[in-house]
Order: sequence, then structure tokens, then C-alpha cells
Amino acid sequence: MRFFVNARYLIVPVSSIVTITGVLLGGIYAWLGMTLFGLYTVVDTVTKNIRFRAEKDVNGNSYGVKTFQYLVMYLMLPVFILLQLVLAWRLYQYTSGMPIEAANIGFFNYQLGISGLHLIGATISTALWAGLGIIYGHELSHNKKEGFFVSRLIMALSGASHFTYAHVYNHHLDLGHEDDPATAPRGRNVYWHAWLSHVGQSKFSYDLEKNKFNRQGKSTFSLKNKWILGYLYSLPSIFLFVWSGGLLGVIALIIVWTISNFLLEALNFMGHYGLIRQEGKPVEHRHSWDNDNVFTSWFFIEIGRQGDHHVRGETYFWELDDVGAPNYGIGYFSLFILTLVPFVFRKFVKHLLEDWDNNHATDEERLIAKKFTSIGIES
Amino acid sequence: MFGLFDKAKEHTAYINDESSPLMLKVEKGKTLLNAALSSGLPWPHRCKVGSCGSCIAQILSGKIKPQIDFTYVLNADEIANGYILACQSELCSDVRVKVNLDKSKKRSK
Repeated sequence: MRFFVNARYLIVPVSSIVTITGVLLGGIYAWLGMTLFGLYTVVDTVTKNIRFRAEKDVNGNSYGVKTFQYLVMYLMLPVFILLQLVLAWRLYQYTSGMPIEAANIGFFNYQLGISGLHLIGATISTALWAGLGIIYGHELSHNKKEGFFVSRLIMALSGASHFTYAHVYNHHLDLGHEDDPATAPRGRNVYWHAWLSHVGQSKFSYDLEKNKFNRQGKSTFSLKNKWILGYLYSLPSIFLFVWSGGLLGVIALIIVWTISNFLLEALNFMGHYGLIRQEGKPVEHRHSWDNDNVFTSWFFIEIGRQGDHHVRGETYFWELDDVGAPNYGIGYFSLFILTLVPFVFRKFVKHLLEDWDNNHATDEERLIAKKFTSIGIES
Repeated sequence: MFGLFDKAKEHTAYINDESSPLMLKVEKGKTLLNAALSSGLPWPHRCKVGSCGSCIAQILSGKIKPQIDFTYVLNADEIANGYILACQSELCSDVRVKVNLDKSKKRSK
């Protein structure tokens, strides 16, 4: 049981390495990362009704091995760096006009040079797995000391180092309230939310630093400012892509960052869409949506157990459990596809929000919900 | 100075009343707040991730190890006067601590 509980969370690490291998092999294999994403969407949809509770031994302890899980999460930093390096390598080959030909290193046969079409595949594959890997940045943001720092570096690879501070000091505190940019109010679509949430969290992180330095009577503009420092951590990625691909490298990096940040914000969007918390009241299980079918749980290292996570923010992901939070009934992959078509998502979520209003919300929260209904926003 | 060689598996927090304080055993690696909640003490708290400040307490003597930077939540005067966030504090020694167990103190951002 201990082996199974710990090994099942390796889907993303293994898939990320497969994606890197695909880009290294070149040709049609450059699309492997994107293909996996499609395959996993099907698996997630097919297994939507299978659920597991967090397993415990006879003493009530989790089977999760902290040392192993943290080692994996820390090792994801070099994996994500490698992901960017192999894409940069392909960009260099394309922009330098390297001819496409078979090559090998020992037993490893690969294609030297890359076509424009397959470079697109490599870029999208890299972007998707950089985005999916952000789940480790999230988990480590709740760790202290070195884990928090590794989280900052992982997020910086997607130009989003501000997330680590904003997530802990803003999202976890202001969840379900308009002060939290990561909570999507009813009526907002995922595309608009991605920008608003990203910019809002960055602004929060800047203000957090500004207020801290103001209290200390020091200048905000310093290398001790974690908001500034976070963006500086992203400079190696920028230099790498500019060096390897020039203007095309900049375009590729913009694509990678846009897609990876979109996936991050889509997770925020799905996690709390339309849920309401009265200011000053404690965060309860009802303020988050759970997505905890088997594939989503294992793939996203239990990030879908949002209800438990937001009430017990200090809890390791392998200990999170079903706490009776409102549940979409489908996994993140399936739900993500629905969010891409806003009117379909709103139709899907309408009856769920009605149920939340009637059976979960407090009287005060119901009153706030009615304000949305009064201006024609029902879901 | 000898923190590296400190093999104690737990320390004691003496809470509030100086003459007959509540005694709380805090295991190594566990936060003051979690130890308090595990023992059924109604320690005020909300977010448990070091952002709301509800679990604020004052260390009167002894040493703690902060897990995060308190300066985002506590001001310089509070830190200078020994205030801590219990949800992000481990004990490095036995401590005397003062906390308002009657109600959580709502803090502004």
C-alpha cells in the first residue's frame, strides 16, 4: 500500500520526462506532450465516477512518505529547466537553418534539425507541461524555507514568481471574496479571469512588499523586494530564449508563459468559481469546489481536494481527503475543456450553483448571490 | 549557540497566568498552534498558513523558530516586543507565552 500511495503521484514527473524525450527525439515525437494531454483528458473523463478516500494505516497515519514526495517535488525544478533547455535547443536548430537529418548518440537515435510545424508541436508540448507542473509550485508555496524558495523558482520559469506570496497571503486569506483576484465571480469567463487574476495577484504581491518596506521606513525599490526579485528569477529563461531563437525565441517564450499561466489561472477559476464568502467569516469547506475523481487526484497531487486544502492549508497533499465540499462531479481535464467554451461551462455550473445557494450558503452569502441574480447573472 | 546539538524531542510552552500557567508540550517539528489545537486548547486561529494573524501571541521568555518571515503580518514594534504567529512557530526552548484565548484578534492587512 505504501508503495502504491506514493508511486501514484508520479504521473506528471514521468509525463514531463516523456515530453522532454519527445522534443529531444524530434520529428513527430515533438508532439508527444500535447498528445499526452489529449490522452489524459480522455482517461480523466472515462474515470470520472471512480473515487478514493485518503488511505490510512491502522494507527490513522497516512501512507505518504514525506521525504520521497518532497524529493520528487524538488527534482521537478531541474526537470522544468530541462524542458525549457530542450525547446531552446530546437529553437536554435530551427533559426540557424540546421538541416533535418538522422543522428544518434550511442543507442539514442534522434532527428537533428526541426521543421516549423514540429517546432510548433514542441512549443505547445513544453507550454502545457510547464503549466501542469505549476502544481508543484503551488504545493511548495505552502512549505517553509527552502520549499518556498523552490516554489518561487518553479513559478519564475513561467514568469509568475509573484504567485507564491499572493497565493499564501491573499488567496488563502481572502478566498471567495472580491479582495481575492484568484476567485472568479459568477459571470466571468476563464479567458478574462486568467488576465485579471494574474495581474491582480502580481499587484497584491507588489503591495505586500511596498507595505512591508514602508513599515520599515525603507525604499521599495531594492533587491530585497521579493516582487522585483521574483521577476529577476525569470531573466535566465528570457536570456535563454532570446539567445537561442532571437525574435522567434521571444515569441516561443510568450507562448509558453501564456499557456502555462492560463492553465494555472484555469485551476484557480475552476477551484472557486461563483462561490461566495462573507468578509470576515472563516473559510469553510463550502467555499471551494472539489474535483477528486481518481485520475485528477493522482495527476494533480490532490490539488482538487480544495475544500480540505483551504481549511487545513498546512496539510500535506497526500493527507487531504473528501470533506463534503461542493463537488463538480468531473475531473479537472474534463472541466477544463468545458471552461474553454464559456456558455457551455455556465450551463453546466448553473444547477451546481443553485444547489450551493440552496444547501450550502449562509443567509448572508445567499443575499450576495442574489445581487448577481438581480443583474441577470445566474451562473 | 548549541541549537545544532539540541536533541530535545519536545519543549514546554507555559501559557498565560504566571503563577499557574497552562502547560503545553510541543513536539519538535510541530507548530505551537498545532500543538495547542491537538491538546484541545481554544487558541484563536483562522488561516493556519501565516497570513491572517489571528493566532498572534507574545513570547515573554524563551526562543522560537519562525517558519516564515513574520514581517508581512506583524509590524516592527510587534516583532520587537516578542509577538509571533503561533501557526508558524516551532519551539527552540521552553517558552512563556501570552495569548488571548477568549477571542481571536481580527487584524487588518
